Amino acid sequence: MTEAPLETRSTEPTLRVWGVGRRFGGLHAVNDVDLEIVAGERRAILGPNGAGKTTLFNVIAGDLPVSSGRIELFGHDVTAAPARKRARLGLARSYQQSRLFLNLTVEDSLYLAALGVRRGHLRPVTTRRDREMRERAREAARRVAIDDKLGEMVGSLSHGEHRQVAVAMALASKPRMLMLDEPASGLSPGERQLLTDLLLALDREITLILIEHDMDVALRVAERVTMMHEGRVIVEGTPDEIRANEYVHELYLGAPQRDE
Amino acid sequence: MRWNVLRSSPKTTIERAIGAIALVLAALGPLVFNQYWAHQILIETFLFGIAAASLIFLSAYGGMVSLAQTALFGIAGVILGNLATRGGPGGTSKGLHLGWDPTVALVVAIAMTTAIGLMFGAIAARSIGIYFLMITLTYSVITTYFLGQVTLVSGFSGIGGINRYTPSWIGDLTGHPNRLYYVSLVAAVFTYVLIRYVVRTPFGITLQGVRDEPVRMSSLGYNVPLHRTLAFGFAAFLASLSGVLYVWWSGQIAPGNVDLPETISLLVIAVIGGLARIEGAWLGAFAFIIIQNYVRGFTFPFLGFGGTLFGGSFNTVIGIIFLLIVLISPDGLMGIWDRALAARSRVGRAGPSAEAPARTGG
Repeated sequence: MTEAPLETRSTEPTLRVWGVGRRFGGLHAVNDVDLEIVAGERRAILGPNGAGKTTLFNVIAGDLPVSSGRIELFGHDVTAAPARKRARLGLARSYQQSRLFLNLTVEDSLYLAALGVRRGHLRPVTTRRDREMRERAREAARRVAIDDKLGEMVGSLSHGEHRQVAVAMALASKPRMLMLDEPASGLSPGERQLLTDLLLALDREITLILIEHDMDVALRVAERVTMMHEGRVIVEGTPDEIRANEYVHELYLGAPQRDE
Repeated sequence: MRWNVLRSSPKTTIERAIGAIALVLAALGPLVFNQYWAHQILIETFLFGIAAASLIFLSAYGGMVSLAQTALFGIAGVILGNLATRGGPGGTSKGLHLGWDPTVALVVAIAMTTAIGLMFGAIAARSIGIYFLMITLTYSVITTYFLGQVTLVSGFSGIGGINRYTPSWIGDLTGHPNRLYYVSLVAAVFTYVLIRYVVRTPFGITLQGVRDEPVRMSSLGYNVPLHRTLAFGFAAFLASLSGVLYVWWSGQIAPGNVDLPETISLLVIAVIGGLARIEGAWLGAFAFIIIQNYVRGFTFPFLGFGGTLFGGSFNTVIGIIFLLIVLISPDGLMGIWDRALAARSRVGRAGPSAEAPARTGG
């Protein structure tokens, strides 16, 4: 993929994070992080295990409250908003441990993902709108090539298929901002290629934030990379700058246990 | 096998056939069975099955095991008793005896019980697992003592003669127990069909999502406590139907009908039937009531205990059966049934089964 020229895109920040911290007892899992992500950007967040990437995701998505700092999403201050309000603003995320509905079918899971940001969760009757949501669910399944498993129980699928369902669930709500937590982990090389192609083909309207251990996927998809270590942002730059950064090499790329 | 093209269809076919036979037998009930069976065992099965179904609904589709269903069942009965009965000469029964029109009293009893259920649910909805269980147990205990101590509405002796005040469109039940038989049967079928319908609506599918992954549900935009609360209210509505039928059947309601042993009995019914499938509610109720009716007089050989003290040997027998079923199949009799069918279809296909393991929980 060639980089889209930045001028053609809105530079208005989709997500702004000011001095955000999250403590667990004495541990600063996330410490004074600033982040600004513009609409349509593809951003990767990298860092060794325990760098605070997933905790940062959790506070941005509202699964965990912040200990300090402020978060603005699509121009709204969401620091104190519950996860469901942020989802309704257009934020969708996936989880490292997939957190799937193991006793539902793939179609029902994707249907729930599509319905979540809409009204009518409590309807005790099925209407035409549900047919629309199911169509959207099937469309999301086609995008990740899991549409042959729509009627299967999620619990009976393989690990790779679980990752596909997780990405499809994030897509099914038609989000404005998509946060994926290690979508490529545990995937075969072929599945990784499919995932990379999918992410590269993603609508430019959607802002994408990616936590990824797989450097190939991350550096091919991302336009900017934020490097975290011990709860702090240590470097931010283009993939080339990150590759060239000596500190990053020492910390992560050159580490003997490169996680790929 | 011919059915191979339609996966899981042999099971559905067998179950539909059994369901149809059961329904026909039930519809012919008073003609096929003797009076004792029709008017005692089967009516009780239908109405306690409804209460158990409300418990199983919450458990199978909402992931919540509630001990409050017996309390809600009793609350509906007590409200109906207070609203519908009139104090008469020689009436020793407690209660307000408001003497309302029975139809109005019926609607208000169901509505008030549902409202109380929503309130109970709103408080319990943020808790899960053992904490949820404890909160609902508290509701049950509070209800028992409230009814016992507030003599204005009940008192320990409770309210009697409620079955003399039935809506005119149902008519006299004491003289025509077949009417109650059919009312209970219709209510049971209604409950079953309603639950089967609701779990496929947006509300029901959402509830199953909440059961599997509440955190994921909130990040998808759902209000998880609100869903749990409404599910609890719906289950309270079902429990209220059961309570109303009970007071029409037995004529009376007292704190002893909702106390801890009764609360546990309903849980035993639901567990014997199976907490994962709605059908288990009536299967469990039937098994429980049969055992209750036929082992009461049983005396253990050599041990010599039994007789009529402490409910006779019933509690021991039901305890042993409960233990056996839970050990053999955590999903109760329905779980044994599911596994038997799965084994049968494996043998039938004579090859490794491509089918997913029998799913539980909806």
